[in-house]
Amino acid sequence: MSETTLGRFQAFVLAGIVLICLLAPAFGTRLVIYNLTIIALYATVVISLNLLLGIAGQASFAQTTFMAIGGYGLAIMTKQLGLNPWLSIVLSLGISILVAVVIGMPLLRLRGHYLSMGTIALALGTYSFANASSFTNGGWGISGVPTLSVGTVSFRNPLNFYILAWVICFVSLAAFYLLANSHIGRAWRALSTRADIAATLCIDVQRYKLMVLVIAASMASLSGSFYVAYAHFVGPDLYDISIMINLILMLYVGGVRSVVGPIIGAAFVILVPQMAAGLEHYQNLIFYALLLAVILVKPSGLFGKATEARGIDSMIPLWLMARLRTRSR
Amino acid sequence: MTRFAATEKVGGVRSSPAALLEAQDVAIQYGGIRALEPLSISVAEGTLTLILGPNGAGKTSFLKALAGAVLVRSGRVLIGGRDVTVIPAHQRVKLGVSLVPEGRGRLPSLSVDDNLQIGWHAAARDRRGDYNQEVEKIFELFPVLRERLVQDCSTLSGGEMQMLAIARGLLAKPSVLLLDEPSLGLAPLAVTRVYEVLSRLNAEGLAMVLVEQKAVPLPARRETTIVLQNGKVRYREVSRPTPAQLAELYLGEAGKL
Repeated sequence: MSETTLGRFQAFVLAGIVLICLLAPAFGTRLVIYNLTIIALYATVVISLNLLLGIAGQASFAQTTFMAIGGYGLAIMTKQLGLNPWLSIVLSLGISILVAVVIGMPLLRLRGHYLSMGTIALALGTYSFANASSFTNGGWGISGVPTLSVGTVSFRNPLNFYILAWVICFVSLAAFYLLANSHIGRAWRALSTRADIAATLCIDVQRYKLMVLVIAASMASLSGSFYVAYAHFVGPDLYDISIMINLILMLYVGGVRSVVGPIIGAAFVILVPQMAAGLEHYQNLIFYALLLAVILVKPSGLFGKATEARGIDSMIPLWLMARLRTRSR
Repeated sequence: MTRFAATEKVGGVRSSPAALLEAQDVAIQYGGIRALEPLSISVAEGTLTLILGPNGAGKTSFLKALAGAVLVRSGRVLIGGRDVTVIPAHQRVKLGVSLVPEGRGRLPSLSVDDNLQIGWHAAARDRRGDYNQEVEKIFELFPVLRERLVQDCSTLSGGEMQMLAIARGLLAKPSVLLLDEPSLGLAPLAVTRVYEVLSRLNAEGLAMVLVEQKAVPLPARRETTIVLQNGKVRYREVSRPTPAQLAELYLGEAGKL
C-alpha cells in the first residue's frame, strides 16, 4: 500500500480539522479566523510542495517564485492596468504555468543538489528583483490591492474570505490525494528515486516532471494571489528565502507524503511562534526546541510513515545500547 | 546531434523482415572510452540470445542500447524492422522491447501492486489486456508475489524482487524480453526458480536477450551465444562454450586447465 493513503488515524485528524473549520466561525475570535485563513493559504502551497518534493522527489525550492507571480500579478494587473481581480488571478495563473514550463525544461534536467541550487537561485532572484525593480515598486511593495467580490458577496468580510481560503485548501488537498494515488502518482514515485528505470517502464520522465512542476506552480500561484487579495498588500518580504524555508519546515514537521501533514505542519509553524510571543526573546527558542523535539521523536514528521530514519535512539551509541539491554535483562 | 548513430553504414547482418529486434553494428562509447566494439544481433521469435562476459565487457551497455537507455555511438537498432536508434527508452517499450534491469530495478516507496500496475500501463493499449487477468497469469508464474501484493517493494528479498522485476517486464507485453544478470546476487534456490520460469516462457515462444556472467540453466531450442570481453566479441556460436572454453575466454592463457 502506498504511503499516501488516508489511514484511520489521518482520516480522524482530517475530520477534526473539518470540524474546527466549521465551528471556528461560531466560537472563534477575529484572530482565530485570521490565523486559520493564513494556515489554509500556506497549507495550499505546502500541499503543492508535497506533490513536487514528496511524491515526485523533485527538490525544487522555487515555490516562492510562483507565489510571487500570483501575488504581484494580481496587484499589478488590478492597480496599474485596472483589470478585474478575478481575471488578474487567472492571468497570473497562466503566467505561472508559462514560467513553469519555460524554466522547467532546462531546470528539471538537473538532478538532486543541482536542481536544488538552480531553483534556490531562482527563488533568490525573485526576491531581489521584487526588491529592486520599479515595476514591483521595490521594497515598498504595492498596497491597496482591491477586494475580491462575487455579486453582492464581498470578500472584505473576513468570514467570507475564510471560507474561500479553506475551499481552495481542501480542493488542493483532494487534487493531491487523487493525483498521488493515480497512475500519474505512481509514475512520479517511480521517477522520484530511479528515473532511469522509470524510463524503461514507458514513463516519459521529462513530461511527468514538467507536469508536476506545472501543477505545483499553479497551486502556489493561486495561493499567492489569494494571500495578496486578503492582505491587500504585496511586498518582497512575502517571498523571502526564509518563507521557502518555512514551507519546507511545514512539510517536514507535518510529514512528507502524508495527506493531512501539510495542514498540521502549516498550523505548527504559524501558531507555535505566536503562542510563544508573550515570552518575547524566548519565542524562537521555544519554536526551535519544539521543532527539535518533533525531529527527535518522529523524524519522519508528525504524520509521516516511519522509515529507516531513526529518532532519538540513534543518538545512543550502540555499545551503550547493548550494555543497557543486557543490564535490564 | 553528431553523437547519434550514423545510419549510412549498414554492415554485417542483413536486415531480415522476420527479426523482432535487430542490432546492426551497435557501438557504444562513454566520453573517449570505447565500451563496445560494433556488435550485431538478430532476434527471432522463440530464440535465446545469450551474452556472456566478465565485468566491464560491455554487456549491460549493449542491453541498455537496445532498450534505449544509452545512446549508441554508431550502428542501428531496429524493432520489427523499424529503425528506433534515436527513439527514447519510454517509447520503445510500447514497440515490444522491455528491459529487466541489472540490480533488479527496485523502486522504493512503490508497493508490489504499484510495480505490476506500472508494468501493465507500459504495454501498448491493444496488447495490454485486462489487468486482473494478466496479473493472475503472473501469479501462476510467481505465486509469492500474490502474498506480497501490498508490501513496499523495498521489503522484498532479492529473489522476490527479481521475480517482480521480471513480472513487471512481462506485463508490458514485450515481443523480446531483455534480461540483465537476473541471477546476480541471488541464492542458488532463487536462481533455479527464476530460470525455471524463464525456460518455460522461452519454450512458449518469448524471445529473450539474456546477459549473464556465467553459464545459466536455461535450455533453449534455438540460441546464439556471444562472449564479450573488453567490448570485443570473443566467441559467437549457436552452442554454448564448454566451461574450459569459457575459462580460457575470460582468463586467457591463465585460464587453461
